[in-house]
Parts: sequence; C-alpha cells; structure tokens
Amino acid sequence: MSSDVRFTDFKSDKQPTWCPGCGDFGTMNGMMKALAETGNDPDNTFVVAGIGCSGKIGTYMHSYALHGVHGRALPVGTGVKMARPDIEVMVAGGDGDGYSIGAGHFVHAVRRNVDMSYVVMDNRIYGLTKGQASPTSRSDFETSTTPEGPKQPPVNPLALALASGATFIAQSFASDALRHQEIVQQAIEHDGFGFVNVFSPCVTFNDVDTYDYFRDNLVDLQEDEDHDPNDYKAAEKVILDSEKEYQGVMYQDDESVPYHELHGVTENMSDIPEDAPEDAMDLVREFY
Amino acid sequence: MAEDLNWAIGGEAGDGIDSTGKIFAQALSRAGRHVYTSKDFASRIRGGYTAYKIRTSVDDVQSVVDRLDILVALTQRTIDENLDELHEGSAIIYDGERSWEAEIPDEMTAVDVPLKSLAEDAGGAIMRNIVALGAACAITGFDVEYLDEALEKRFGGKGSKIVENNKEAARLGQEHVEENYDLDHLGYNLETTDNDYVLLNGNEAIGMGAIAAGCRFYAGYPITPATSIMEYLTGRLEDYGGHVVQAEDELSAINMSLGAARAGARSMTATSGAGIDLMTETFGLVATSETPLVICDVQRSGPSTGMPTKQEQGDLNLTLYGGHGEVPRFVVAPTSITECFWKTIEAFNLAEKYQTPVFLVSDLAMSVTEQTFPPEEFDMDAVEIDRGKLVDQDEVDEWLDEQGRFRAHAVTDDGVSPRAIPGTIDGAHMSTGLEHDELGRRTEDQGERVQQVDKRYRKVETAQEREEWDYREFGDPDAENLVVSWGSNEGALVEALGYLEDEGVDVRVISVPYIFPRPDLSEEIEAAADVIVVECNATGQFADLLEHDTLTRVKRINKYTGVRFKADELAEEITEQLAAEVPA
Ligand SMILES: Cc1ncc(C[n+]2csc(CCOP(=O)(O)OP(=O)(O)O)c2C)c(N)n1
Ligand code: SF4
Repeated sequence: MSSDVRFTDFKSDKQPTWCPGCGDFGTMNGMMKALAETGNDPDNTFVVAGIGCSGKIGTYMHSYALHGVHGRALPVGTGVKMARPDIEVMVAGGDGDGYSIGAGHFVHAVRRNVDMSYVVMDNRIYGLTKGQASPTSRSDFETSTTPEGPKQPPVNPLALALASGATFIAQSFASDALRHQEIVQQAIEHDGFGFVNVFSPCVTFNDVDTYDYFRDNLVDLQEDEDHDPNDYKAAEKVILDSEKEYQGVMYQDDESVPYHELHGVTENMSDIPEDAPEDAMDLVREFY
Repeated sequence: MAEDLNWAIGGEAGDGIDSTGKIFAQALSRAGRHVYTSKDFASRIRGGYTAYKIRTSVDDVQSVVDRLDILVALTQRTIDENLDELHEGSAIIYDGERSWEAEIPDEMTAVDVPLKSLAEDAGGAIMRNIVALGAACAITGFDVEYLDEALEKRFGGKGSKIVENNKEAARLGQEHVEENYDLDHLGYNLETTDNDYVLLNGNEAIGMGAIAAGCRFYAGYPITPATSIMEYLTGRLEDYGGHVVQAEDELSAINMSLGAARAGARSMTATSGAGIDLMTETFGLVATSETPLVICDVQRSGPSTGMPTKQEQGDLNLTLYGGHGEVPRFVVAPTSITECFWKTIEAFNLAEKYQTPVFLVSDLAMSVTEQTFPPEEFDMDAVEIDRGKLVDQDEVDEWLDEQGRFRAHAVTDDGVSPRAIPGTIDGAHMSTGLEHDELGRRTEDQGERVQQVDKRYRKVETAQEREEWDYREFGDPDAENLVVSWGSNEGALVEALGYLEDEGVDVRVISVPYIFPRPDLSEEIEAAADVIVVECNATGQFADLLEHDTLTRVKRINKYTGVRFKADELAEEITEQLAAEVPA
C-alpha cells in the first residue's frame, strides 16, 4: 500500500476548527507530507496527540491515533512504540502540553531515545484556554494571568533536550512549508527520538511572536555552511544563543542507538502464542 | 491438629533478616511442611526493627497467630517487641558474646550461641544468621539437610565455596546447641512429608499470573508494597517476549501501559495508594477510549504517605469511585495468594473482553507473605485466554461505515465494540478522552453522548449476566452467623473457624473476590441472624456497600493498626460481636 500513499490519505474528514491563519494548519500539512514521503501509510502509523489547540491535530489526521490527557502524550507514544516496533509513531502537542505539565515526561522521553518523532507546536501561549502565559512566553509578555509578564525567563526547550541527552534536535517554522516538511522528515528518519520544535503562530492571542516576527528574524542553519549538526559544541552554540531564532537541524547524533536496539525490544507484542500459558510452566518450577 | 511451630528472626533492617527467614521457609517447604510467613518492617533501610515470622505445620496454615515458639533475637528490641507472643516454653536464640546483655524472662529457654564467632570459623561473620538457623534445627530436631537444599538454591549461583561455607555455618550452629544444651527438642518433632510444595508470595503470584495471561508490557514506578511485582517481572517478562519499563512517575507508567495496550499488547501497571491517585486522570481516558488495561493496586496504610510498610484495605472506595465523571470499571480483589494468580489472569480477560480498565486490588499482607501450595494450584494448562472482539483483517469490513471508516466505538447490544490494532488495514481510527461518536470523533451531540455513556455502562450489564461474580465459602453453610470479608483476611478467617468450632460457635464465612460488579448477597444476609463484615480499614468500606446493596445493617470488625488480622484474635472478636447489639 505504501508506494501509492498520498499525503491526503493522512487527512481525516473532520474540518479543523482552528482560527483561520493559525500556524497549526501549516504544521499539520508538513507532518502529513513527511509521513507519506517517508513511506508510511495510515494503517501502520500511530499519532499520539496532547491537549490544546495543537493537540486537536490527532482529530484532523487519519491514522491509528490517541488523543490523550494533558501533558502525557509522550509516555503513550513510548508505550505504543515499545509494544510495536513495526509501527511508525509520531507524537504531537503544544508548548504548554510539552514543556509545562509534561516537562517531566519530555526530559525522560528524550533520554530514553525511543525511535519516534515528537513535534511541538510552539506558539508561546496557551491557545485553547484562551491566552495565558506558556513556559515559552517571553518574560515581559502580558497575558490575562500575567498582566505584567511572567517575569521569569522562558524555558529553552532545545537546551532542555540537549541537556537531557537528545540525539536529534531541530526547529522549524510552520509557514516555511518546504523546510518544515524536510525537517520533520529528518526527525522521522532519525534512528531514535526525533524532536522538532515548530514555531506555529497563534494569530488570536499572541501579537508578539507573529508570522512577521519569525519571517524577519529566522536564521536558517542550512545557509550557515559552518554549522555541522554532528558537532555537539556547534549545536550548543546555536541552541544557547538567545539573540537569534534559528530553524534547521541543530543537533544529530548519527551514532545514537535507539531504545529498542539497546534493550532488545524488537518483537511485535500484540500476539499471544497459542501455547503461551503452558510454556510458562518454568515459572512455577522456580518456586520449588 | 498437628503441632505447629511459630518461629521468628528479628533484628535491625540491614541484618539480612528477610533472606534468612526466606531460607528457613524454603527449607521447611522442601521438607513438605506448610509455611505461612509474615513480616514486620519499618519504612527505613538501615536501622529500625524488622522481623520475619514463620508459622509451619503439616496441616495447611493460612494465617499468623499470637504465639512465638522460637525466636532468633539479634537485638534486645526483638525480644521486647515480641514479649506478648512469647510463652513459657519459648526458646530464644541469641549471641551472648555480643555487646548487648540479653534480658530474657526466666521462664523461657535462653539458648546462647556465639553466632558471630562460629560464622567466622565457617568463613565469615556474614553467615551468623545461618548459624542461628542451624541452632534452630537442633532445638526442634529438624533435619539440617533440608536447610542445605535451601542454601544450595539460595547461593548456588555464587559458587560451591559459598554454599559449602554456609552449610558449615549451619552445622556449627547445630553442633553448638547439641553439645551444650539438653533440650530434648523442646518437645518438637517437626514431621516431614513427601509433598512437593512451591513457596511464593502474592506479588509473585500476580507477576506469574500476568505472564501466564500473555501480558507483554509492564510499566511501573517503585512504591512499597507494589514494587516487587515489577522486580519479579523484570527479566522474566523479557523471556516471554515482553518488556518492563521503570517509568519516571505513575502518570507516565499508566500512560505507557495505555499506549502499549492500544498497540495491541496485553499490558499492566501496578502501584499503591498514592500512585493510584496520580493515575486517576488517565484512568478515565482508559475507560472512555475503551482500552483494555489491568491496573493493580497493592494497598498500604494511607492517607497520604500514611504508613507505607503497614497493612490496610483502605483504597476500596478509591478504586470503586476514583476519577471524575462516571466511569465503568471492574474491581477484582483476590482473596488468597493462589487467587492472586487466577484473578490476574481473569483481569486480563475481562479487560480485553469488555475493553475496560480493570482494577486488581491486593494488599500489603498478601504481597509480602510467602506461603506454600501444591504446584497444581498454579496449573498453567487450565489457563484460558480470551481476547474478546479483537478483529482480524478479514473481519474489519463488517465494521466499516458507508464511507469505509472503522467504527471503533460502534454502539452494540452488548456494549462491546470491535477492536482493531495498528497494522490492521482499514482499521485506522482515533480514540480520545473527549466524548466521541462511533468513529471516535469528538461530539457534543446530546443523542450521541447518551448513546456512548449507555454503551459503556452496558458492558458492565453484559458482564454481570455473562460472567460469574461468585464468592468463596467456608465453614458451616447453614450457620446463623455470617461473616463476610474481602481480600487477604480470608486465610485468618478460615483458621478462626477452627477456634470458633472449639468453642461451639458455628459460622458461615463468605469471602468476596469481586467488588464491582459483585455477587448479590441479599439472600445470604437475609438468612443470617448475625452478619459481621471483617476488613482492614477504619470505616468499613465494604460493609457500607453491603448495607447499600441489601438495606440491612451489619456488624463490623475493623482493624487499622497497620497489622493484619490474626486467626485467634479474629475468633475472639467474632465471639464478642455475636454477643453485641446490631447497630441502630
Ligand atoms: C489536567 C489538565 N489541566 C488543565 C487543562 C486545561 N488545558 C487545556 S489545553 C491547555 C493549555 C494548552 O496550551 P498549549 O499546550 O500551549 O497548546 P495550544 O492550545 O497553545 O496549542 C490547558 C491548560 C486540562 N485539559 N487538563
Ligand atoms: S487560538 Fe491560537 S493556537 Fe488556537 S487555533 Fe486559534 S490561532 Fe491557533
């Protein structure tokens, strides 16, 4: 089936209820194209979505999917992939979902290096709950719950990933369709945990981190011939650079060994062999 | 009744109390004797009083009693803590060479064995507890060769030198007693039989049941007393093509297990009280996404961090009612270690047949108790696996709508929908914690909402008709006095029957392994003159349920000291309650 899969096969018949102009449209298109382009089809793909405007993505895509509870998408994806190494797993959510309520899981998913991709739609705001500060909001960004700004530095998700031992760290921009798709594709193809933070503007609640802002400020690492993603120091440099916004693959460890290889978790766990219980007789003998 | 012996070793945590006790229990089991063990332990790693107690008989023993015959005391506190249970004929093994001056009541037999120096003679002070085991064999006339077998089992992996040294340590202990004391075995003659028993605890039985049931994925986060399930499964589950993950917390553990279950693997997580609290949000998602998942709660004393190493059955309401909104579930509570095995298997079948979360509720007492059983009680041939409406490639078409979309939440008569797992062509669908239509798509349509809520509850109705929600029964079926209990109290109750019989009190005991759905006990309760509900909690959570079901007031025996019921104590309490008035 996979050879003639088109990206529209990953589209569900539900019409998105996102605000016209929301960055999540572009983010989703890129994800669907990347999945199709990497030879996957809806019947062998599992998409796990978080909670938020971003998390609705699971509803608008077509595949095996679970739309979970707030912040817990990564553990779900981890479980799916461990049980089914044969299935392509993609996890998606927002900055609040991933770096606030789910921050603990983020760190651990990164260090587990399970072979799946994680796409975060970073709009630097809580969209679905109507405009409160998110962990990536600027410290002076005024919102309904932070009238004078959060007055604390934003989380740098890329740095958090790097510090946690990530093997693939990238950033893209929803409206730069081709680059975004390419980057997600690389994350899917990476042997291990492929993390992509996507600038996905919220046109309703965030008038600072806008399309124009990113268009004017974004530096593409592809154009920087000096940047070698395999070079940890170089990655550190761009990731910790608070002056500029980058897109591209910041870091990739080509030698990384994904979880399933390291732990020998390669079997499809969905079948139970006919004679399974009888085979387990040794378990009783152990207690003699 | 055959003579039964109550033996204990006590000292500080870190003194190797647990493994010494286990070795002796194993030796007794090898000798074809029944064993029932209990542990006292404090919530600290070094220091703090710990004891391992063994009751053994050629008859079946299922509980502890208030009597201690032989005590290996590594500290004075061990003696002080157990004074109540020691009696005139008790023997206390202690090391007179050590710096503490043992204060042993005059009427008891003090057996001074230089544990440390004899152990050193055998090759190392670390074996002093083994010297004590040799001494205990001498006192009771128990053949040390059984101890040798247990030592081989325990240390075999560490090389023959270690095994030989340990055997030597046991011999030195035995000889010391034989040469210096003329105890005439204190009147004991520990009979042996040809029976082959297996010795295991409740958590091991749950782990073994999970593997037998085809569980492939387990994620958990360490918490007493559930951790040993994860420890048991680690390595073993892998041998059967599965995998164990130590997650970063319980939120992650249940979500990973949910992910694996949706991917088609039989999947389980286990925790205790506080961990169940954390899992509760996802519990609702498991139910609305109709994912088969076994969630095991090994109860301990709450609330909050409570008494983490103490017995309680206080989470019944949590497992029954936990979670916002209204969520169908099954709550199954094994009543014995064998039942831990069988009910775990049943939990997996229920979960898949009805695509519903199943709470498997155990408790601390059961989880740490090692008990002997004939191996046939864990007959793997009798294990049946039922995967419910898992559709294969050929059946998928039946469940597609006109547009070719898979109806993962199809509204059916029995409330159970078809289940397609990833890789099944045309079975792709989304599931969500949001209210949804048959296709899994979000809806707030009133009609669809009601249909889905009804559908989910219909599964419970269907299960109520199709499954047997029966109970276990002991004692005199015609007795006027009815005692009802759930969980691990069964053993002590069954033994209490013997004591009651001696006093001429006839009792019918009903032990209920199903909390929801549960058997209808109206007739049984109506037929009884007196009904007493026994449980390890302060408020009587199960008694409340029975009163609610039958509109009848019941008497209650509640224990919430952190210590399990003892058979003789229960017999006394039952007699007292029978004499008391029924509450207004
Ligand atoms: C446990 C819990 N707490 C709070 C919420 C409410 N909630 C829904 S979405 C959301 C924030 C979403 O923000 P983000 O992840 O940035 O996604 P966006 O909507 O901006 O795409 C919150 C707090 C919830 N659903 N569950
Ligand atoms: S509120 Fe913001 S994030 Fe949500 S759909 Fe609208 S634009 Fe997108």
